[in-house]
Amino acid sequence: MLKISREEIIDGKFERVLNFFRSRSLWMLYYCTGCGAVELPPTMTSRFDMERFGISPMATPRQADILLVTGYVSVKTLKRIVYSYEQMPEPKWVVGFGSCPVNGGIYWNSYATINQLDKYIPVDISIPGCMPRPQAVIDGLLSLMDSIKKGEAVGYKKYRMNNDWYKKNQREILERTKPVLGGKK
Amino acid sequence: MTNRDMAAKIAGGWSDAEAVPRFHNQIEVTCGNPDTIAGMLHYIQSLGFEHMSNLTCVDWLEENRFDVTYNLWSYKYKIQATVKAGIDRGEPKIPTVMDVWPQAQAYEQEIHEMFGVDFIGNPDLSSLFLHNWKDIPPLRKDFDTEAYSKEAYGAQRNKEV
Repeated sequence: MLKISREEIIDGKFERVLNFFRSRSLWMLYYCTGCGAVELPPTMTSRFDMERFGISPMATPRQADILLVTGYVSVKTLKRIVYSYEQMPEPKWVVGFGSCPVNGGIYWNSYATINQLDKYIPVDISIPGCMPRPQAVIDGLLSLMDSIKKGEAVGYKKYRMNNDWYKKNQREILERTKPVLGGKK
Repeated sequence: MTNRDMAAKIAGGWSDAEAVPRFHNQIEVTCGNPDTIAGMLHYIQSLGFEHMSNLTCVDWLEENRFDVTYNLWSYKYKIQATVKAGIDRGEPKIPTVMDVWPQAQAYEQEIHEMFGVDFIGNPDLSSLFLHNWKDIPPLRKDFDTEAYSKEAYGAQRNKEV
């Protein structure tokens, strides 16, 4: 399991000053893996207008702060998510969008989708719902801003410190060498 | 031409084919000898079924059989034909129909991945959707997807309320 707990790596006072400014300007990389992507256009456009909170979309992982994983994550997608996540510069945060990254959602017993995204990359905040309404998305992102300000959203430090554990979980899925159920190919 | 006439024409022209008219504009054709499926489909194509809209597979676990199913459509007569070829489940092999419809390649690749059917003559049967798959093909009826998910991804069933 994780060697370092969340409480031990909370940001110090100097970091918290920076965090105040960081939390007001979040660039979001939305990795539209599943159906959750349909809720993003209304959230971004004039009716709900995410940009009034300083959150706006970004096209490349190298310039983004938030990785938004919208929907179920298949094994092939997981590999790309890990690539994108590792390309992002720190500080970075991950938002699990919808029930699927939490526990698999309605695809929990599928052979193709992973169940807990938190085992492979650190998820800072999860927005439950299938799908979450734009109000819930905005509420979730505001909670993320709050926890960034408090210095509690430190998933990227967790990833760096427990890298072995995350890498081991990723390898178990991505580099499988023998059958899971023991059947023949 | 109605589907009744077309069914009679197919059954009359190819000895292994057994054609039954279904309702409206549909025909069900059963291929008696799967080794000749390509020739049979070529014959059916020459009757006016120029469009292969789908190629799929049905797993009959109790009868130990895979039904490789070709859905054909005739623009000229507005008739839809379902051609079924039953093959042995233990050793699933069938010739490719790429020579009749080249687009069958990708369908056959997918069926090979999901059901394990071997399409003889198809040059590329590599993995299409699954990443590093080691178990039995996942869409077979004897594959337990819930047990797989529990074992591989740590899935948990919620308590029944």
